[in-house]
Amino acid sequence: MNFYLIYIAVALGLFAFAALFALFGVYAERKVSAFIQDRLGPTETGKFGSLQTFADILKMLQKELITPAAADKVLFVLAPFIIFIAVYLGFAVMPWGPGLVPVSLNIGLFYVFAIISIETLGIMMAGWGSNNKYSLLGAMRSVAQVISYEIPAGFAIISVVMIAQTLDLQQISLQQGTLSTVTIKFLGFANVTHIGGILSWNIFRAPHLIIAFIIYFIASLAECNRAPFDIPEAESELVAGFHTEYTGLRFAFVFLAEYSMMFLVSMLAVVLFLGAWNTPLPNMGTVHLADWTTGWGWGILWISLKSLALVGVQMWIRWTLPRFRIDQLMNLCWKVLTPLAFVCMLISGVWRLLLM
Amino acid sequence: MEQIVFFVLGFVVLASALTVAASKNLVRSIFMFFVTLFALAGLYVFALADFVAITQVVIYVGGVLVLMLFAFMLTNKEVLNNLQQGSKRFISLQKLPALLVAVLFLLILVNAIIKAQPDNLAWIQASAQSGNVISPTDNMVPNIGISLMTRYLLPFEAVSIFLMMALIGAAHLARKEEHKF
Repeated sequence: MNFYLIYIAVALGLFAFAALFALFGVYAERKVSAFIQDRLGPTETGKFGSLQTFADILKMLQKELITPAAADKVLFVLAPFIIFIAVYLGFAVMPWGPGLVPVSLNIGLFYVFAIISIETLGIMMAGWGSNNKYSLLGAMRSVAQVISYEIPAGFAIISVVMIAQTLDLQQISLQQGTLSTVTIKFLGFANVTHIGGILSWNIFRAPHLIIAFIIYFIASLAECNRAPFDIPEAESELVAGFHTEYTGLRFAFVFLAEYSMMFLVSMLAVVLFLGAWNTPLPNMGTVHLADWTTGWGWGILWISLKSLALVGVQMWIRWTLPRFRIDQLMNLCWKVLTPLAFVCMLISGVWRLLLM
Repeated sequence: MEQIVFFVLGFVVLASALTVAASKNLVRSIFMFFVTLFALAGLYVFALADFVAITQVVIYVGGVLVLMLFAFMLTNKEVLNNLQQGSKRFISLQKLPALLVAVLFLLILVNAIIKAQPDNLAWIQASAQSGNVISPTDNMVPNIGISLMTRYLLPFEAVSIFLMMALIGAAHLARKEEHKF
C-alpha cells in the first residue's frame, strides 16, 4: 500500500511544481518583456512587483465561469483540463537526477512524444466547443502548425536516439556524464568517460546534434504556440485564438498548460541534447569537479537551471522576433527544417557505425 | 487490482464505442472515439504490448482523429445538420440492413472464437512449456526493431513504398495547375 502513497505524493508534487512554475513564469515573462522593451513591468504589488501573479491568480479564481449560450457545453468545459492533463502526464517520465525519475519507462521518449500530441486534440475541443469563428480559426491554425512541426522535431529526436540506442530518458541521461556505463567520446575521438562535464553532453559527443538541437528547439517553440509561431492566438487578428471564450479558472488552466508545456519541451531538450541532470563542470586532474557535483540534489539543480535557461531563451525570442505568416511558417518547416533533420538522421547513422 | 483496472478499461472501451456509434452529434462522437482509442491503448499495455499502445496513441489520436476533425470542420455546416435529422426510433426500416450485417458479423466472430479455442492452442502451450514468453519487465523495443529489419523487411518496405505513393499522389492533387497562355 505504501507505494501507492508515494505515487500520489509524486503526482501532487509535480502538479505543485507545474503551478508554481507557471506563477513564476508569468512574472518572469513580464519582467523580461519589460526589460527588452525598455519598460519597468509590474512594480506595485510586492517588492519589484513579485506578488503580481499571485494577485492575478486570486482575481482569476474569483471570476465567474461564463459558458457561451451556443457553445457545446461538454466539450467547452472539458477542453482546458484535457489540454493541461496532456502536458502534465508528460512529466511522468522526465528524469530529475540519478535514480530520481517518477517512472522509468523503456519507451519513455516515445511516450512523451505521444502524450504531447493529445494536447492538439484538447485545442480542437476548445476551438470547436466555443462555437466562435475566432476560436475555431485559432484551433485550426494551431493544429496545422503543431502537426507540421512534429515531423522535424521527431527526426531531430530520432537522430539522438540513434546515437544513444535507447528510448529510456533515464538511460539517455546516464550516458552523458561520469556515471555512464558506455564509453563517451568527445567529438568521436577523445575518450571522456571519466572526465564528464560539458564535454560528454550529447551535442559534443556528436557535433551534428547541435543542428538537431536547434531544429528541435525551433519546432518546440511551434509546439507550444509561442512567438514567433503564435499565429493560433495572434492578438491582432484573432482576439485570443482558441481560448477566446474562456474565463476564470478555465482560462487559468489553459495558461498553466502553456507554461508547463514550455518547461516540458525545454526539459526534454536538456535531457536529449544538453546533458540532462549532469554537471557542466568536468574533472580536471586532481580536481574532481564532475564527481563532486553529481548527485540527486545537484541533478535537480542542474536540470532546473538548464531548463530555466532554455525557457529564458524562449521568452527572449518571443519579445524579439515578429510573428511569422502562415506560408513562411510552413516554408520554414517543410523546406528548411525537415530536410535538415533528415540529413541529421543520416549523419547519426554514419556516426554511430564509424565513430562509436 | 489489475483485474479491476482491466474490467474498467474494457467497460470504457465498450461503452464509449457504443456511444460513438449511437451519438447523433458527429463531432462529439469523434471525441468519444478518442476515449475508445485511449482505453484500447490501456488494454494493449495489459497485453504487454506497450510499444503498440503508444504507437496507437501517436497514430490514431495524434494523426487520424485530428485528420477526421479537420475534415469535419472544413465541411459545410448544412451537411452536418442534415446528418443529424435521421429517424429517431431505434429500430426502423433504414436501419435494418445495418442491424443485419452487425448481427451476422457478431455471429461469425463468436463462432470463430469458440472454434479456435484460444486457451488450448498448440503453439501457445508449447511456448509456455519451453519458457518462450515475455515478462512485464522485458524491453521489447529492440526486438521489434530487429524483427522489422530482418524477418519482416519485405512487408515493411512494401508498406513504405505504398505510403510514398500516397504522399506523391496527395502532393500531385494539391498542386496548383500551371497557367498556360
